[in-house]
Amino acid sequence: MTAKLSETATRHTMIPKTATEAPSGKRSDHWFDFNQTIPGAQRFMLGTVGWLAFLLFWQVTSQLEFAPDRLYPGPAAVFSSLQELFLEKGFFSDVVSSVTRIVISFGIAILIALPLGLLMGSFARVDSLLNPLLGAWRYLPAPAFIPLLLMWLGTGDTQKITLLLMGVVFFLVIMLADVTRQTPRVLIETAKTLGGGRRIILWTVLFRHSLPGYVDTCRQMLAVSWTYLVIAEIVAATDGIGAMMMRAKRFVHVDDIMAGIVTIGVLGLLFDILFRLVYRKCFPYLGREQS
Amino acid sequence: MLSARGLSVSGISKSFQSGGRTILALDDISLSLPAGKVGVLLGPSGCGKSTLLRMIAGLETPSGGGITLNDRAVYRPARDRGMVFQDYTSFPWLTVRDNVAYGLKINGDSSALNEGTVDHFIRAVGLDKFADAYPHQLSGGMRQRVAIARTLANYPDLLLMDEPFGALDPETRWQMQDLLLSVVRKERTTVMAVSHDIEEALYLGDVVFFLSRHPGRLKETLYPDFKAGLPENDREAFLQSDDYRRLDLHIRRLMRDEGRDAA
Repeated sequence: MTAKLSETATRHTMIPKTATEAPSGKRSDHWFDFNQTIPGAQRFMLGTVGWLAFLLFWQVTSQLEFAPDRLYPGPAAVFSSLQELFLEKGFFSDVVSSVTRIVISFGIAILIALPLGLLMGSFARVDSLLNPLLGAWRYLPAPAFIPLLLMWLGTGDTQKITLLLMGVVFFLVIMLADVTRQTPRVLIETAKTLGGGRRIILWTVLFRHSLPGYVDTCRQMLAVSWTYLVIAEIVAATDGIGAMMMRAKRFVHVDDIMAGIVTIGVLGLLFDILFRLVYRKCFPYLGREQS
Repeated sequence: MLSARGLSVSGISKSFQSGGRTILALDDISLSLPAGKVGVLLGPSGCGKSTLLRMIAGLETPSGGGITLNDRAVYRPARDRGMVFQDYTSFPWLTVRDNVAYGLKINGDSSALNEGTVDHFIRAVGLDKFADAYPHQLSGGMRQRVAIARTLANYPDLLLMDEPFGALDPETRWQMQDLLLSVVRKERTTVMAVSHDIEEALYLGDVVFFLSRHPGRLKETLYPDFKAGLPENDREAFLQSDDYRRLDLHIRRLMRDEGRDAA
């Protein structure tokens, strides 16, 4: 029996031809080859190079005298005003308001989209009922509803959260349904022949198989949420990152506006990393190979 | 039809619509498989053998005729007919042990869980060292063993297999056939398998049902009972026996005739 179990061990013994053996003398590990996998350290270094190049470009162009410093401050000025915003101008509470809006609106969006997406992706009749309706709503631009929302809901948080919700939820439903639909039919049939009823298969196969896809979809849609957040806070708000930026505009504090943009970028990135972390921790079985 | 413990297929036909025409895929198929026996549906591709198997599983509905298992009519998938597919069906998010326990868990069969049924079948397919591994860490043959153990742990009355070893390399395929036979003999499982491989069909089957195609009909029922006189699990003795060669040649002729009809 042990001989049978060793079948995996011999599977990866094929050694690819190394570059030096190539008769033509040309290296096959070209700097730009297709489908290359590169070491993590090199990947990190290249990413850093990209960022440094960007900062250098910013620094150099800000020192050229084609725009006054006031309208186009360099990176150093923006970072010092970022520091000032947090330490002296109470910017932290603005950040908290914005993040709260994102979290609440996105939480509601998931609560609505997940059951709908799961049912639409699982049952063709639910999909036929809802897909034409929700699919069409996707194409109505959420900001177009701002005047209505202002009249109906006022200028408070309800209006902003509703706008964020409208901007995200329709896309989310359709995308989660797509993820659910990708559950291999043979897994469902296997569960059926093991005696699984509909409710059991819905949870233990369709939902469970789709879970990683759900997390990934949410990660991507969260980026869209940030776009609508800025719109919502620019229109009518007393607090939040967008509101701070509009206040800064009134006094031509371009460095503050840029600091706001940087803050949003960093927050977006942090959420993205968080989702990736959750993905890696919760789905270890997706290790080497997508099943 | 025969009324006994086992599988009984009587007068099954299946037709489907294609381009406004009705195509008859299976035509009036009747067969029976006694409990505890291994049956193999053999035939050229397009003979509808997989469709027939899926109808026995309850995954597809016949256009006519009826199927019974132990005198109970079959009309939808249920626990008494577990199926192993050619595609890998291990749930990737479950370890080997949780995969094998899946059927018992969803059926609320905690007594069987407690009695070590799961470990018993993991051991039976030789995966005890891999009980806590995830499917992506296993080879194709091992994943099929998980599927077999998972189905058997659910104690089905009938084990259905749709070309379960079709995706495996020849060496692993042989090993899996021996493994399957040793497990089902020990557990006295009734098996109906689909194959297009003559050697596999004769090696596994107590009864081999040869289907012709266009439409699928039961052309001949073969009983490779010469194996009773051979040592168990001896592939060479099996391949070298005159009876095997005779039956193999006979089926090859049937296959060739099918090819002629199609052309």
